Amino acid sequence: MDRENSELTFDQVAKKYPDFPRTILRKIDTALRGVVLTEKALERAKEEGALFSGISNKPALLFGALFRDGTWVLGLETYLQQLPCKAIRKGNPYILDVLDGKLWLLDGLPRPFAQDKNVNQSLDAHGLPTRLSARQVFPRAKGRGEPVEEIHFVPIPKYYCKKTSRGIPMSEVVNARFPSSLAITVLHCRFDQEKNLGDPAKAVTCKFCFYATPLFRRKEENYTPESLEDIYETVKEALKEEGRWTSIHLVGGSDPRGMHQNGAYPGNLPREIVKDTSNFISRDKPYEKEVEEDIKVLKTLQKYFGTEKIPVRAIASAFPREQLLRLKEAGLSAYNSHIEVWDEKLFAWICPGKAKYFGRQYWIDSILSAVEIFGRGNVSTQLVAGAELAEPYGFKTIEEALESNLECADFFARNGAYTTFCILWVGQGSVFYAEKQKLPPLEYYVKLAKGFNEIRKKYKLNVGFQDYRRWSNFLDTDLARIDHA
Amino acid sequence: MENDELGFEEVGRKYPDFPRTIMRKIDTALRGVILSEKALQRAKEEDALYDASADFVGQCGFDLDKPALKVRVPVSAEALPVIGGVFFRDGTYVLGLESVTRGLYSPSGTLVRKGKPYLLDSVDGELWLLDLPREIKLPNGISRGEPMEEVYFAPIPAYFSKKTSRGTPMIKVISSRAPNRITINISDYCHFFKEKLSCKYCSIIPWLLHKGVRTLVNLEDIYETVNEALEEEGGFTSIHLIAGSDPRGVNQNGSHRGNSPYENEVNEYVEVLKTLQRCFGREKIPVQAIASAFPREQLLRLKEVGLSAYRSNIEVWDNKLFEWICPGKAKYFGRQYWIDSILSAVEIFGRGNVSTQLVAGAELAEPYGFKEMDEALASNLEGVEFFARNGVYTTFCILWVDRGSVFYREKQKLPSLEYYVRLAQGINEIRKKYKLSSDFNDYRRDGFHPDMDLVRLDYNET
Amino acid sequence: MFKLPKEVVDLINDPESIKIVATADEKGNPHCAVKDFFTLLEDGNLAFAEEFEGSQTNVNLVRAIWFAKNVELTVRGKDGTTYQIKGKPYKYFYTGPLFEKFYLAAREKWGPDSELAGVWVITPEEVKNETYEVRKKEEDKKHPFFRHLDRSSVRRTKIQNSKSEISN
Repeated sequence: MDRENSELTFDQVAKKYPDFPRTILRKIDTALRGVVLTEKALERAKEEGALFSGISNKPALLFGALFRDGTWVLGLETYLQQLPCKAIRKGNPYILDVLDGKLWLLDGLPRPFAQDKNVNQSLDAHGLPTRLSARQVFPRAKGRGEPVEEIHFVPIPKYYCKKTSRGIPMSEVVNARFPSSLAITVLHCRFDQEKNLGDPAKAVTCKFCFYATPLFRRKEENYTPESLEDIYETVKEALKEEGRWTSIHLVGGSDPRGMHQNGAYPGNLPREIVKDTSNFISRDKPYEKEVEEDIKVLKTLQKYFGTEKIPVRAIASAFPREQLLRLKEAGLSAYNSHIEVWDEKLFAWICPGKAKYFGRQYWIDSILSAVEIFGRGNVSTQLVAGAELAEPYGFKTIEEALESNLECADFFARNGAYTTFCILWVGQGSVFYAEKQKLPPLEYYVKLAKGFNEIRKKYKLNVGFQDYRRWSNFLDTDLARIDHA
Repeated sequence: MENDELGFEEVGRKYPDFPRTIMRKIDTALRGVILSEKALQRAKEEDALYDASADFVGQCGFDLDKPALKVRVPVSAEALPVIGGVFFRDGTYVLGLESVTRGLYSPSGTLVRKGKPYLLDSVDGELWLLDLPREIKLPNGISRGEPMEEVYFAPIPAYFSKKTSRGTPMIKVISSRAPNRITINISDYCHFFKEKLSCKYCSIIPWLLHKGVRTLVNLEDIYETVNEALEEEGGFTSIHLIAGSDPRGVNQNGSHRGNSPYENEVNEYVEVLKTLQRCFGREKIPVQAIASAFPREQLLRLKEVGLSAYRSNIEVWDNKLFEWICPGKAKYFGRQYWIDSILSAVEIFGRGNVSTQLVAGAELAEPYGFKEMDEALASNLEGVEFFARNGVYTTFCILWVDRGSVFYREKQKLPSLEYYVRLAQGINEIRKKYKLSSDFNDYRRDGFHPDMDLVRLDYNET
Repeated sequence: MFKLPKEVVDLINDPESIKIVATADEKGNPHCAVKDFFTLLEDGNLAFAEEFEGSQTNVNLVRAIWFAKNVELTVRGKDGTTYQIKGKPYKYFYTGPLFEKFYLAAREKWGPDSELAGVWVITPEEVKNETYEVRKKEEDKKHPFFRHLDRSSVRRTKIQNSKSEISN
């Protein structure tokens, strides 16, 4: 099937799915096409305290933007913190501009862009020339562009401009994510440090991942009492902003090492031990290093909240049962471990690190164990929707891909775990970027969001920590807003 | 046409946006409703039943077995039950109960119906309309119909059991055919009958026809009865005056073509209106006359004596069928005269206060009527649109084929349920298009018009 | 943009008037909720605080903003003056200065454990005076024949033994 040519446009999709909310449809489209700001829009962001330029040597940071209904606008990643400066998009980007005093997302049209670091970076990310006139940028575009959605900026958190007592910028200690969440990066992913057994030239990093690039590396490998104090001070400062935050998320890469191995990498363990997962876990406590770092942060947060159980979710690797129990003891409320790709063969191809440590079944078992420990509705997994369509081994049709993903969502839902999906991001630094993988069509994500939402309703699962305002990357959880009652 | 007719459920599925109770109302009119003993008992307990036999002995009643012209014969003291009316849950008036509902001037219970009647019965303490064709066998061997709609009785007005100072039973002076309506049948005389030119569907035999004179209801009786009825607070919202047609002018010594035709009829209305003005103590009174087509000067006279609304029934829109079905109206003085009169009335009484009515189904009568439902619909809607364009609302009633009418003798059949559904929808669309109201003829002031029931959803607009 | 008359604005700004938000769910089931924090914004829009993400009102408002459905706000003053404002949800804020203002107000009223999910901004499209006397006048004019015949404006002659007279 020639996917690209049979794709429906935004209006066609909207017409075909009249019961799918417009803003969420637009959100998908902003993710696929990206968004570029005009100079006026940047100026506006500055006026509204939505632009942060406290980090030296980096472009000013835009905190984020929302549609009228509070849905998070995607496609602004190049303006947001910590994301690579290039990504593969589809078609022309949307333009964020000020019209008659209001902030609008415009479809199709050129206007002079700011010769600003941010704008240049964004244009560059789209593969567009940075020093040409608008006319040259969009030679075929006519008129001013059609305003499609009014949006508003989210202000930069007040704590961003402060420093900890030892002089560390708080914005680097705790990352504010989306409108209402605080994120603490626990550790850097180790998968990029090991050669892929199947393809020694490449690391075992997930093929869509760009976080493994040095850009995202945490400076310290382990949290020290001093860096934990930084977290304490920063969270305390952040929470002075009343009504702003509703959840804390621990994020980071995978680190399958056990503590007692003195930092030795267990990758060269005998294959039979690796295969017998339970055997391996009881002897070698895999992922213990990652859990240790999580626990350090959790204890620091327990100290701040003064309660045992704290409103924190860990987005982490698949941990053995005993490690999950330790996290629960340290106050963790919710746990999310990404299966990324459901199909067994594609999982092995796209996520070689996860396949190696310690295979799809291990990851599934861990997620299901977590349901027993943290309770139904507090455990979730995530798919990187679109990865399963990557060439050359991915599904050839979107129907097959949909079926596989929905099978996954239904399987986990049956077992009390909620599955969300994010839109594939083909960012610079990832294997997929190097391979020039394409993005799936808008309609695919609509079908997927509807399908996931139906499954969620069928099993009466709640989306808790990853709803529209707490972890706004998703579409299916946006839809859950009208089922909260 | 008969064989292609859709059943109730089929029509319900085909027209899902047509309200169920209004569809059921049409069906009750087509199939009729009979009351069980239990239902009558229930009506009694709820003060919804009145035995009018004593009021009418020796004065009223039809000999139903005499096939030709019905003559008045004394009725013995057998019970003459009158119920206050029956409503669906939403307040829609149940039809098909004409022989026992309020007003004794309604047809006699010999209406030609379609299929088996509904049974009004008490089921588990609630009043239900049961569908008899689909009987349910209960474990105890008793069979009963399938409950279709829950209904409730309207109580009998208090004045029913009273008499005027002249000793006239008030129930004979005014009737209340719909729950909030006072109907004054000011004269039973219809001149068209005398000339054997009655409308072909009409079975309302003029009681005093054999005397050949019009006799007006005693005005003092009207005054007292209306005053008594109005003592029932919240009971009534409108008064409707009806009478048979009388095209004679008073100065013509009985000649029909006077300079002021229908003056005889108008004079009666004037007298009654003046009486009602006394009851209300004001000039303009909430009264509608359902009358013949009057010349402009007569309409002005009615307005002067306080009349608020006027309805003159065109009955059948198609020119040829009008002449065939309504020979009296055609003779006095033709379709164009009736139309002109109705349009004049708009100028006098104002938009929304003038209406006309079609006897829907008459236009399908054999052998000259329309052969196809679509043709009949197109004709009716053309008439409705014409009047609407001119500020007149057209409503329709469901054809009655009752003993005493020409149609009854001709064994005319009733149209299908679907026909009335489509007609009601069509008329309602036109009403909305022209933003017309017709408050006097609505679901509670009249109750006989399915199209007017639909208007309830637009009261906030029109 | 539609501008609310001053009388309505005063009623909205009066902390003692009762404010009710009416919404409908997916199947059209109505839902009404009394709201405490209600204000008129400078741009002519109305804003009110929604306490809970999972309230029926909030869910219905999300559906309304997604599918361009109307909501209704009713304001009733101490003297019975009542206005109904029909409008569409325009924006939902859960960050930023407007949200913060409402959040702090809720804190002050309900204490440190109070919750506030967000602030809904409604664009008024229509306003209607629903005060009994006003509506009666309008309705009598529009549907003069719907009046009961025993009302004093219909029947001017002395009503004898009238229950209403006795109660007077």
